[in-house]
Amino acid sequence: MAKPFPTLAIPLFLLSVVSLLSLRCGAFSADRPTDRRLLVLVDDLAIRSSHSLYFSTLQSRGYDLDFKLADDPSLALSRYGQYLYDGLLLFSPSVQRFGGSLDLAGILDFVDAGHDLILAADSSASDLIREIATECGVDFDEAISFQDPAALVIDHTSYAVSETEGDHTLIASDIFIESTTILGDEKIEAPVLFRGIGHSLNAANSLVLKVLSASPAAYSANPATKLSSPPSLTGSAISLVSIVQARNNARVLITGSLDMFSNRFLKSGVQKAGSSIKNEKSGNQQFLTEISKWVFHERGHLKAINVRHHKVGETNEPSIYRINDDLEYSVEIYEWSGSSWKPYVVDDVQVQFYMMSPYVLKTLSTDKKGLYSTSFKVPDVYGVFQFKVEYERLGYTSLSLSKQIPVRPFRHNEYERFITTAFPYYGASFSTMAAFFIFTVVYLYNK
Amino acid sequence: MLTFRELEFKMAKSSTSDAQALFRSLRSAYAATPTNLKIIDLYVVYAITTAVIQVVYMGIVGSFPFNSFLAGVLSCVGTAVLAVCLRIQVNKENKEFKDLPPERAFADFVLCNLVLHLVVINFLG
Repeated sequence: MAKPFPTLAIPLFLLSVVSLLSLRCGAFSADRPTDRRLLVLVDDLAIRSSHSLYFSTLQSRGYDLDFKLADDPSLALSRYGQYLYDGLLLFSPSVQRFGGSLDLAGILDFVDAGHDLILAADSSASDLIREIATECGVDFDEAISFQDPAALVIDHTSYAVSETEGDHTLIASDIFIESTTILGDEKIEAPVLFRGIGHSLNAANSLVLKVLSASPAAYSANPATKLSSPPSLTGSAISLVSIVQARNNARVLITGSLDMFSNRFLKSGVQKAGSSIKNEKSGNQQFLTEISKWVFHERGHLKAINVRHHKVGETNEPSIYRINDDLEYSVEIYEWSGSSWKPYVVDDVQVQFYMMSPYVLKTLSTDKKGLYSTSFKVPDVYGVFQFKVEYERLGYTSLSLSKQIPVRPFRHNEYERFITTAFPYYGASFSTMAAFFIFTVVYLYNK
Repeated sequence: MLTFRELEFKMAKSSTSDAQALFRSLRSAYAATPTNLKIIDLYVVYAITTAVIQVVYMGIVGSFPFNSFLAGVLSCVGTAVLAVCLRIQVNKENKEFKDLPPERAFADFVLCNLVLHLVVINFLG
């Protein structure tokens, strides 16, 4: 007899209500990786209007921005174990302590959970902000906090020509990273205006990248005082804007200039010192729009699904292979375009058949609709192998797929039945038997 | 008196002629053996030839399916050995087996060969 209907109905009803609610919230999920809800922490709510152009570009793309003061006592990133936001914008360089339940560990856990972060500092950056940046792999000029709290990046050859500011702290930089995934397809023609502190990256760290670098003539010092010793941070080692893509594909943008996001910089024209080109509009808006698209997973986000393998000629996936079998491996890779999944088309995805070291390494061929496949022969070694796909490209999320499969040797009845080199022996044995038979007949019946 | 050279020539001639005389006498003596023994001898020669051919083949190709090689060679050599035993037991000039009926010897030969070839088939792979 079937189970009584009412006892099943109630939990089912609750489940459907809960799932509908979560769908309505439009939350960040694996199916739609673009962030939706962003928390913007500011020192002063005036930033909301002084940087309104940048925020409106975000809001026009569908993000929900939640502005809060950095020391607001009601601050919380998560409630009941669930994160309330998908991304965090820290536009509060001088905050000493966050309000509410937020602290350094909370922000790092937020990033470790796979969420994105934009951190903007300036010359008033507090130790807390510097520490967040250091944990993400970016070091703001250490000398600043000890010797000279007011040090800025100064460049006497790449500054932006203007009537008022003559101390060359407003620099115009156009040394961008070469990547259409991070900065978009269109080349940024105008230089980007920057005023603030610089930072350096550890060369051994493979996860951080310089998106906007200072020119080789830049250095970090206080513009008001005379230099008593050579500055510690100089030249191309200074990074103005950096990105970090963590191993869990969380993306962090760190920059030393909150003014870079301001309406003044976005709208102003720029002329780089020493060049005669006068741009009507600085490259800030295009640069920040494109890089925000990258940080919030509108671009460069890959997913790999449907890993399948089977013997050539069959469709089911076996649980064990035999040596010298022919097998086919396929995987589907899609790229998020901001609104939908599009097939990812390249020719450099490789699969390894790996046991301590790759026995087979093959480049997968694509059918241009996102399906990557190849076929190869299982090597003559038995053991437990893995199908490994390790794909890391600049600006894209890293794919790390691994599927374990054992490989067995021949069973005793799977060897070839008759060995061709042994045919003379077979022939000799049978001819001897025939000769024996004929001999007996002749011997018995001869007279 | 013969010279040294003439003596050498005479001795050489006599040694070759000795060999020829020996060979002729062997042939004539062999012709006197009974037919059944000649049949057995023919069978032995065939078996040994087959064995030698197999060994030469192994020397060329290598001993890869060694069990097949052993099965082939042992079938030939084994059956030759059994045939020689039959010849000894059946030969009327042999005093030792005077009391053994030749039918009994032949039955032993057939049974042993059956066992031998059964083993060979199993070992042939």
